[in-house]
Amino acid sequence: MVGLLVRLKLRLLRNALKSSRQARVSFILSTVVAGIVAIGVFASLAALRDQDAAVELTTVTFTTFAFGWLILPLLVFGLDGTLDPSTLALYPLRTRPLAIGLIAASASGAWPLANVLGLLGVLIGLARGGLGLLFAVVAVVLQVLFCIVLARFVTTSLAGLLRSRRGKDLAALLILPIFALYEAFVQVVPRMTAEGKLTAKSFGGIDAWMRWTPPGLAAHAIHDASTGHPLTGLLRLLLLAAIIVLLGALWIRELAHALVTVDTTTQAASVNSTALPFANRGLVGTIAARSWVYQRREPGAKIFWGLIVIIVVASSASTLRTPAYMGGLIGAAGFAAAFIGIFNGDAIGQAGPAFGFDAVALHGRKPLRAYFAGMNVAMALIAVPLFAVLLFVMAAVAKHPSAGFLALAVNLAGIGAGMALGDIFSVILPYPVEKRPGSPTPKAVEGYRLQVLGATFGSLIGTAILAAPVIVAVVLTGHVSAVVRMPALLIAGAAYGLVLATIGVRLAARLAEDRIPELTEIALRSKL
Amino acid sequence: MGGVAISVEGLRKSFGEKEAVAGIDLAIAAGSFAGLVGPNGAGKTTSLSMMTGLLRPDLGRIRINGVDVWADPAAAKALIGVVPAEARLFERLSGEELLEYAGRLRGIPAAEARQRAAQLLDVLDLVPDAKRLVADYSTGMRKKVALGSALIHNPSVLFLDEPLEGVDPVSADVIRRLLTRFVGSGSTVLFSSHVMELVEQVCDHVSIIDKGRIVAGGTIDEVRGGRSLHQAFIDLVGSRANDGEGLSWLGSSSD
Repeated sequence: MVGLLVRLKLRLLRNALKSSRQARVSFILSTVVAGIVAIGVFASLAALRDQDAAVELTTVTFTTFAFGWLILPLLVFGLDGTLDPSTLALYPLRTRPLAIGLIAASASGAWPLANVLGLLGVLIGLARGGLGLLFAVVAVVLQVLFCIVLARFVTTSLAGLLRSRRGKDLAALLILPIFALYEAFVQVVPRMTAEGKLTAKSFGGIDAWMRWTPPGLAAHAIHDASTGHPLTGLLRLLLLAAIIVLLGALWIRELAHALVTVDTTTQAASVNSTALPFANRGLVGTIAARSWVYQRREPGAKIFWGLIVIIVVASSASTLRTPAYMGGLIGAAGFAAAFIGIFNGDAIGQAGPAFGFDAVALHGRKPLRAYFAGMNVAMALIAVPLFAVLLFVMAAVAKHPSAGFLALAVNLAGIGAGMALGDIFSVILPYPVEKRPGSPTPKAVEGYRLQVLGATFGSLIGTAILAAPVIVAVVLTGHVSAVVRMPALLIAGAAYGLVLATIGVRLAARLAEDRIPELTEIALRSKL
Repeated sequence: MGGVAISVEGLRKSFGEKEAVAGIDLAIAAGSFAGLVGPNGAGKTTSLSMMTGLLRPDLGRIRINGVDVWADPAAAKALIGVVPAEARLFERLSGEELLEYAGRLRGIPAAEARQRAAQLLDVLDLVPDAKRLVADYSTGMRKKVALGSALIHNPSVLFLDEPLEGVDPVSADVIRRLLTRFVGSGSTVLFSSHVMELVEQVCDHVSIIDKGRIVAGGTIDEVRGGRSLHQAFIDLVGSRANDGEGLSWLGSSSD
């Protein structure tokens, strides 16, 4: 069974490699990144040698890995066929050998290997003497085993949920905390470290409770064995092994249960709604109603708004408490607006086959204007208040709350520009998208890279250029009384944005008028 | 019955080297229940897509109640309802919301659209699932809600691509009865299928398509010519059966 499931996992990896050029590139890239991570983690752990906080930082590293093993399988559920017990439920397999086989399958592949090799950095960084080295090897093996069993237990327990539409929606939203953490590591941690606010000693407090978590037990066992307390270290390892055995037993129980449990994925709950909104607003209201409902229910839309907020905050936060705060606020206003165009520059491809539902009813310039205008209305209903709150909070953090009005003026113009560009690019550079296992948002189908780049950079540069007059007005009116300046700029920004959005809608409708069949063909090629 | 509801002349479509539709002529009388049957890959879906204004033909002319689909697409689309093979639906709307949306999309006032949606949900036996998202619907429910969406504006001509594919017998019966009632009121249905028994039961007119060409057409009796429609179809299209002589190990007596 072990050999069979390991071969299955390797065959699945090999077949994914053969499926398309994109899959091949992703696989090679992933393997290279795994190698880099292994070397990086090994070097980082090895560099802790003779440092005061070596055991604390090792504990943090071990815990981070365990966290990764906990979260990532939830995101890539469906990518690895051996993760879902339902795929094996039809075969006459006994639970115990199946469980051991599944653990072995989990341990196969580039990333598990990178995990082991990287953590072996403790051989240099933390271990001392023969006993320390021995404990380090055992601790790393137990740590990786713990991660695997934990991941298996969680995915098996949640398998039913993860197969369901709701579970997939929830799992997709996990990208937001992960992305926020990534941004924090890339933008905040280096800055805090440079400013001396984050040092190795900062982890001392965390270690007081983290040492009793399974990753902490592994790290401290090595430290104990290396500092003349082998018995304490042994007790820690035995405790860790007991936790793994307990977790394994729980997992086997869950596995046995999952193999004989009915698939309830079609038995979903109802939604609370009586009727679509904007009932008396004609075709614009009809499209706006559908788009509005989608903004609330589609996880992709929530991810989109969440990502914008994270990116804008992370990229501008460093300037807020400096004399350059105004530049940071205007940059945030423009950046947020540009993302409207970037994320909606393929509205028809993103709608997917459902666009055919609209296409059998709509034709001609006027209905198409209503189509684009309706989508923009729904988007503006979220973008305007969300960005306004975001900019005013940032202005308050900068201790210049009134500057929020100026940033909002730029933002309103930028939202109009972003919408206009999104509408136009949706027609002139449409591309089909597909949902891939492991990716919470749809990606462009292979062969449409140019369209993606065109729409992305076109929106970014186009929004900057189109919003420039309002930015210039903000800069040049510094001497004008705030009572006049603020409302005048706000009204001008909003009016200018509205004009841009209207021009965008009209241009997009004119361009789409004779291209409905071609746009439908692109939309039908999307796999959502 | 009145005049010709669907008129197709010299319809052609190629995808690269492959000629998917190689010159089709059809004339379906108003009030007909017509079937377009053929094996997989015969050109049924491509033909229906062109007839409904979703795929631009290379050559040919299509008229719905006299309106040229490609000269005046907006007018033609107002006359038709379409149920595609793979239902293209807004998955994040509930069944009730989808029907209301379809009605409002066709210019029906919201209150009227809601009322029609409720009636369609009732007839289609979808009331208990009206507030569930379409994403959570079974195949039969999806077909039924797609049919409701195509009917809500009371089209003159309804196009359906494989309407009963993967549908359970109960849902199939609901769909069949609704379509029969629709045709009974003088409207026209053209549907593609490869289920001969269904075509034989409900259609009064059938066209057999193979390799992008109509190889037979007329009333059911004319096409089957004293045989079953299934046999007539096999005779016209040619059997592609392989008796599986290489599978000598297969079966209980092969030990």
